[in-house]
Amino acid sequence: MTKPNTGELDPQDSAASEIKSYAVGFVASLLLTVGAFAALLADLPTTWKVVLICVAAVLQIVTHLRNFLHLSFAGGESEEDMLLVLFSVSLLAIMAGGTWYIMSDLAGRMH
Amino acid sequence: MSGGTSPIFGNLNWNVTPYTDAFQHPDSSTIIGAGAASVLVLGAIAGLALLTYMRWWGPLYRNWLTSPDAKKIGIMYIALALVMLTRGIIEGFVMRAHQATALGTLSAQESGLVAPDHFAELFSTHGTIMIFFVAMPLLIGLINFVMTQQLGARDMAFPVLNQVSLGLTAAGAALVMISLLVGQFGTGGWTMYPPYTGKIFSPGEGVDYWLWAILISGMGSTLTGMNFAVTIFKHRAPGMHLMRMPLFCWTSLCVAIMLIYAMPALTVSSAMLALDRYADFHFFTNASGGNMMNYANIFWMFGHPEVYILILPAFGVFSEISSTFSGKRLYGYTSLVIASMSIAVISFTVWLHHFFTMGQSAGVNIAFGIATMIIGIPTGVKIYDWMATMWRGRVRITAPIVYLTGFFLLFVIGGLSGIILANPSIDYQVHNSTFLVAHFHNVIIPGVLYGMLAGIHYWFPKAFGFRLSETWGRRTALLFVGGFVFTFMPLYVLGLMGMPRRSPTFQNPDFMPWMYLAAFGGVLMMCALASLVWTFWASYRNRVALAVPGGDPWNGSTLEWSTPAPVPEWTFPCIPQVSARHDWGERKRAGDPWKGPAAYTDIEMPANTVHGLLIAIAAFALGFAMVWHIWWLAIISILAIPGIVVIRGLRVIEPRIIPAAEVAEADRRFRRLVENLPPATRADEETERNRGVPDITEFAG
Repeated sequence: MTKPNTGELDPQDSAASEIKSYAVGFVASLLLTVGAFAALLADLPTTWKVVLICVAAVLQIVTHLRNFLHLSFAGGESEEDMLLVLFSVSLLAIMAGGTWYIMSDLAGRMH
Repeated sequence: MSGGTSPIFGNLNWNVTPYTDAFQHPDSSTIIGAGAASVLVLGAIAGLALLTYMRWWGPLYRNWLTSPDAKKIGIMYIALALVMLTRGIIEGFVMRAHQATALGTLSAQESGLVAPDHFAELFSTHGTIMIFFVAMPLLIGLINFVMTQQLGARDMAFPVLNQVSLGLTAAGAALVMISLLVGQFGTGGWTMYPPYTGKIFSPGEGVDYWLWAILISGMGSTLTGMNFAVTIFKHRAPGMHLMRMPLFCWTSLCVAIMLIYAMPALTVSSAMLALDRYADFHFFTNASGGNMMNYANIFWMFGHPEVYILILPAFGVFSEISSTFSGKRLYGYTSLVIASMSIAVISFTVWLHHFFTMGQSAGVNIAFGIATMIIGIPTGVKIYDWMATMWRGRVRITAPIVYLTGFFLLFVIGGLSGIILANPSIDYQVHNSTFLVAHFHNVIIPGVLYGMLAGIHYWFPKAFGFRLSETWGRRTALLFVGGFVFTFMPLYVLGLMGMPRRSPTFQNPDFMPWMYLAAFGGVLMMCALASLVWTFWASYRNRVALAVPGGDPWNGSTLEWSTPAPVPEWTFPCIPQVSARHDWGERKRAGDPWKGPAAYTDIEMPANTVHGLLIAIAAFALGFAMVWHIWWLAIISILAIPGIVVIRGLRVIEPRIIPAAEVAEADRRFRRLVENLPPATRADEETERNRGVPDITEFAG
């Protein structure tokens, strides 16, 4: 799977495009954070606020993975990246889903 | 704390030391507290005096504290762990001594060596220390030292980050240590469940010490996990496919993955509790919408993977030593790999079994109970694999094999009591009793402690160039086995008799015979600790006779045995080309494994840096300032940490180049030495004839 001892960077990855990728990621993250605060302060029903904040959060995760951690599903290491994302998502789903399962059951028995 | 918070000293004043209590109310409890603080102070003074007298400050700073070498960092982790182990075992002994004298009567209910609050502090620090500052540094240290060498790498992927991780772990350990002298530790057990540990029921500094020790060292462990994972994926020697990695590297990979995904849960639960305590949040409070059950939920989301983080490296060690000391190839490599990975994943699906009795419905309990029983299957597969490895092998009863045998006998009992506890209806009966205490000690001591001590014994010559005394090693191992049996088997009985865990007193005289047995076990454990220290000392005094400069004292089959002992900082003169699963063993089969490389090149090593040390100091200052509400220091240190990172980021840092000539000279000297040393047969292994060059015709692994 991994080519061993290949620490070297792709020579075609010039510094300019690297910086552009980081800048785009930074601005997008900033906008999504501000957006989440705006959604909170806006005059909206609570359900909408929660939905908007969740969407902003998920989009921000995607931005971080793409622009800062350089994950991509095309190119040489796409299979590894895909496996990594799938594994992370399944573990997070176990944790989040398990919490939901346990805490909602507890709440149901308390009220 | 009387009086307000001082702007300079926070909540600190002259009454926070245990000496104040000992002067005001001298009894056995306060005197033990003051005695422990004195041991800490005298130990620190003796350590500083020794360093000054021997003029070791310079070498300590240059060769150790500023070194980014994974092997040295590993050794420092293990040294830290052994210091903390000493405190942990002594605390365990004090608890056993206390309970042996704690029989109360209906009129005088409290009795025993220490006061109830002091007892609560003891079991809280004992648990915190043993899990976070003994087991974790032991296994992280061993992985640091061994994994890079087994992979054919010169260092970790991120050597300086590795140094930072060690620094953060040490800062956390220092916070727990200083709580002996300054103030008190929390009394909520190593899990520190709210609402008891919230601000209302636990004011004062105790819980904060735990929180900051955990937050700081937890960050270090997360970073270590990332470092391990990247090293395994990116720094394997050419030809070292994943399925050619030694099993210890596989379990290290599992540990890395689990550290990355589990440690953040602990950081989250501790940070939420810290917000509750410092900023009046209501995550886990009784009132205002808090839900303390979610703490147990998040904590054990970390806590159960943690259990397997602790045990998997030990499984890796046992895989290596069962093969080496039986002179046989490891049985069922693929099944062991699959079992390790299964354990790593399934361990994330069982956390609710730590709180079966919290009040959820039977359906939820059954789901997690079944998951818990399933995780026993891969563990069982491993036990059979190791037994099959040893089957009809030429087993040498060295100290690691004594540990392995003790592990076989005792860990299976611990595992079985775990399967029993996985049934929620049984768990309801014995939950919160000493049956549970017996169960988890029964997996952690024979599993983690024996595994790590066996690993230290096995790889010690690689680090320091001489073997540990086998006689004293075996004595230590037998004492740890005996100490375990006497201390914890009675606790199973006591638990079934209804003795609650963490209980400072009891009124049932029927408990007493078992209490005395357990206290005797505590004495044996103290003897085992002394014997462990003596093993190091006796071996050091005898180091000339025990020296193994050839570097392969056990006729091993993995790459780390191809280098001299002690291993040079560059590990391999040139990165090996791996062509088989047990590459060093295959080279022995092919004949002349010690043939030198055709050419040498310059080696780039990371330059020494004070970065990790500075971050450790800042992190300790941050933790201490937050515990005592010394806000100015907290602000300075929390700004200092990113500041130190930025300053390092702005500087151009050149790696250190070791010239090819120097490497060639050292390496040729080693090859000549190996040629001139007489090969030692297996029968000679424990004698002075073992100079680290085995008789390769005997190799059968």
